[in-house]
Amino acid sequence: MDRSPAESQADAPVRKRPSTSSILGWIGLAVLVLLIAFPLYWAIVASFTPEATLFREPSLWPRTIILDHYRALFTTRHFWVPIRNSIIVAGCTTIFCVVVGSLAAYALARLRFRGKGLILGFILAVSMFPQISIVSPLYLMLRALGLINTYPGLILPYLTFAMPLTVWLLVGYFRQLPPDLEEAALVDGASRWQSFVKVLLPLSVPGVATTAILTFIYSWNEFLFALSFTVGPDRQTVPVAIALFRGQYQVPWGEILAAAVVATVPVAAMVLIFQRRIVQGLTAGAVKG
Amino acid sequence: MPSLPRRTWASALALSLAVLVTACGGEKDTRPVITYSGSAVGSQGETVRRQIERFAKLHPAIVVRVQPSPDDATQRHQLFVQWLNAHVGDPDVMELDVIWTSEFAAAGWIRSLEQYSPVRSDFFPAAIEANIWDGKLYAIPWYVGVGLLYWRTDLLDHAPRSMNELVQQAERAMRAPGGPPYGFVWQGARYEGLITTFVEYLGAFGAEIMNDSGKVVVDSPDAIRALTFMRDEITSSHIAPPEVLTWHEEETRFAFQNGNAVFMRNWPYAYSLLSDSSQSRVAGKFAVATMPAAEGGHPTTALGGAELAINSYSEHPEIAWELVQYLTAPEQQLERAAATGDYPTRKALYDDPRLAKALAVPIAQVRTAIESAVPRPVTPIYTELSGLLQIQLHRALTGQTSPADALHEAARQMNAVIRDSGLDEREVSQ
Amino acid sequence: MSARNESDVRLARLLVSPATIVIALVAIFPLGWTVWESLHRHDLRLPWLGQPFVGLGNYARIIHDARFWGALGHTAVFTVVSVSLELVLGLIFALAMNRAFRGRGIVRVAVLVPWAIPTVVAALLWRFLFDSQAGIANALLLDVGIIDEPIVWFVHAATAWVPIILADVWKTTPFVALLLLAGLQNIDSALYEAAAVDGASAWRQLTRITIPLLKPAILLVLIFRTLDAFRVFDLIYVLTGGGPGTSTEPIALYAFNALLQNLQFGYGAAISVVIFLITFGLALVYIKGLGAGSATGVER
Repeated sequence: MDRSPAESQADAPVRKRPSTSSILGWIGLAVLVLLIAFPLYWAIVASFTPEATLFREPSLWPRTIILDHYRALFTTRHFWVPIRNSIIVAGCTTIFCVVVGSLAAYALARLRFRGKGLILGFILAVSMFPQISIVSPLYLMLRALGLINTYPGLILPYLTFAMPLTVWLLVGYFRQLPPDLEEAALVDGASRWQSFVKVLLPLSVPGVATTAILTFIYSWNEFLFALSFTVGPDRQTVPVAIALFRGQYQVPWGEILAAAVVATVPVAAMVLIFQRRIVQGLTAGAVKG
Repeated sequence: MPSLPRRTWASALALSLAVLVTACGGEKDTRPVITYSGSAVGSQGETVRRQIERFAKLHPAIVVRVQPSPDDATQRHQLFVQWLNAHVGDPDVMELDVIWTSEFAAAGWIRSLEQYSPVRSDFFPAAIEANIWDGKLYAIPWYVGVGLLYWRTDLLDHAPRSMNELVQQAERAMRAPGGPPYGFVWQGARYEGLITTFVEYLGAFGAEIMNDSGKVVVDSPDAIRALTFMRDEITSSHIAPPEVLTWHEEETRFAFQNGNAVFMRNWPYAYSLLSDSSQSRVAGKFAVATMPAAEGGHPTTALGGAELAINSYSEHPEIAWELVQYLTAPEQQLERAAATGDYPTRKALYDDPRLAKALAVPIAQVRTAIESAVPRPVTPIYTELSGLLQIQLHRALTGQTSPADALHEAARQMNAVIRDSGLDEREVSQ
Repeated sequence: MSARNESDVRLARLLVSPATIVIALVAIFPLGWTVWESLHRHDLRLPWLGQPFVGLGNYARIIHDARFWGALGHTAVFTVVSVSLELVLGLIFALAMNRAFRGRGIVRVAVLVPWAIPTVVAALLWRFLFDSQAGIANALLLDVGIIDEPIVWFVHAATAWVPIILADVWKTTPFVALLLLAGLQNIDSALYEAAAVDGASAWRQLTRITIPLLKPAILLVLIFRTLDAFRVFDLIYVLTGGGPGTSTEPIALYAFNALLQNLQFGYGAAISVVIFLITFGLALVYIKGLGAGSATGVER
């Protein structure tokens, strides 16, 4: 294998911690992963089970398998539509927050100016009001702007909790990176903006990727605003669509679980794509020249 | 002949297309639009949609839209509150739970229907009573729900004639070899369903939550006996499993459906599901009856169901009233009964042989049940009072406090809220 | 250098404005409205009472409201227990996800998926798992012999908290793990190598290197998880509805009850403001406690 030491270094694990190599550590981890995965496994099994069987006795193995719930999802429930809506809303919220948020985070982390604490405090404080209290005035406001049942009408309220998360995470992450490389670039004649884009950003891929994933999942899961600010199936998101499966007394367990399983696919895909980026291969040496 | 350059052709084409689109597609639909919001799921939803489509065909000058809202009562209530508080004009026609009418009427969110001179006597008196605020009718009863006692015909030979007999029958059936693990399952979780169950026990012992003059009497000696009886079913005769205190309608239905209970208290919706032999282990082995009485009381069922009301801010109230009339007309109520098993609210239909055919339950029994139905207190602050009562009932049933203490505390809190609201000075319509 | 500072300040203002302006535009009206409402008596069911200004009357009522204090207590206990568990478990998973091993992609996805499931569905799932008859929890405990009779989890205050906390930990440990994993990236591996050379054990490395250097990430975890745990609503609403009695009622459910069930907008708004003040206060405590400079860069 003709690889330079640097390249081999890139593939090697970053951590050389002898402790978790011990068998006990791995077994413990396996048990924990199993415990986490078990409810998911059970949900998947249940989504293939007829409802009457579900309530009889608990069982770990599927006794009968039916595809009815999944079929119903895509025929009578038109479940593609809420998935599309969720992807658009969560995606746009994430992109907007990461872009705008990283600009603000850079300023807050690296530049000197007055009012930093105030701005950070304000951004955080906004997300601390319980959603149920701000849902009514937000509804009035969105209605006045004609944004009820539109994509912007969801993205804008989502910014109240997504942006604080993004900004605080990125500020924390940027602060952690040693400023030497940027200082070097500045000394070499680069502007602040250039040092941000060419030096800091490439180094912070793990942080940005992590922030993107977190913001996406946060927005994906959101229920109260989505319920209150959308009116019809063409803009409702996944959590709302699932809530609407319920009849007056009846809870269609099979379809709800099938919907949940289906809804995790886009998220799992996103995580799979990004999961390499959230861990760094190299710690330094990214600056050319 | 020189041909025009391509760019000119393209522009001309674009221009003509634009003109076409504006001319044809741009014609705005100026017909009035009314919106209905209510159950849109399952067989109920299908039936309503069918009826609305027919209505639209009969009135080609109007457009009728369906705006889905969650069937979960709390979520639908929340959305309606939000829309109405913002003075939004749609939905024009709303499906309300029977306990919301006075609340929405007092808040000024639904129109009084007096100007349309509705004929109150067509409908069951209890259902009408639940929709009156300040002496005026504010919603039309659409369908009624009543609490029914489901009992196993393969384990018993007759329905119980008193509460004590119910307990004895349950104990005997449970003790018999191969007997079911539960005697009596009912909704006991801390939610509105608990109040509907409790109201039936109250009536059985001759008590009530509020008397006719609006005074809270839920801590009367008879009421305490009723609550004690309920608790004893769990702690003393053990015919009700402690699980009932976490169960809503569906959990009790599944318990009965899987053959695990002798008796079940539930709404009519369960009947057709229990008769489905592909799912139910008790298909053909059960029947319904009214909840029996105890000493000093009378058989009582809780009045449930839905009402149709008109939004105060609706831009087309007369058209909305047409839709309400249509949906509550005898033909539509019959159609709904056949499709979903929801009981009609018009008295005359119960003499109609078509209804007897449409309902799986013997019609005489349904009528008796509806006539023994009792509405919960009709007041705008009902939800708050119910919440306070639920907490105390649940604490008594889970053994955290005694029934007497629980009911006295509930009455004290309820009275405080009533005083605070100033409603005791206003006339409370009962 | 001062010319650079001036241009820095200009650049900073430019960079910070989009985020701040957007948030302010969306949030100013709702927040202002909430505070304004909290100073009035506003009961939607009783419009004839008007909307009189009552100053701090609603807040005084809160102080005397036993149910409020009960809810606050439940929320505090819930927050402490679940955040602690999540921090510990999250650290374990973060350390594991940081290593390169075959199948790490799958493990990372598996660990993160619970968080992607809508809260209501997760709550229904856990409710089912702890159902006294049909649930797996009792089945397993009975099989293993830890209990002789099925436990009716949701009927007793003490046992009802178990599925609630487990459900919350299951659902949000991924968030903590991800945050801590990002924090782990910033720790120079050279430190570990040096420590290994010095003969330090794994535990020492963990306590002397990893955890101290993770302080900024831990701070973020504490702030955001406390914020969320304090406002827990959907999870408990579906699992127990606040029962038995009011033994598991969290403060957000009580606020919801006041606002959207009892239609008391004034009182509900006051409760919301109190929730805000408490969570903001806690955030300040965390920042002071774990070092202001570490995460926010405010010390300059």
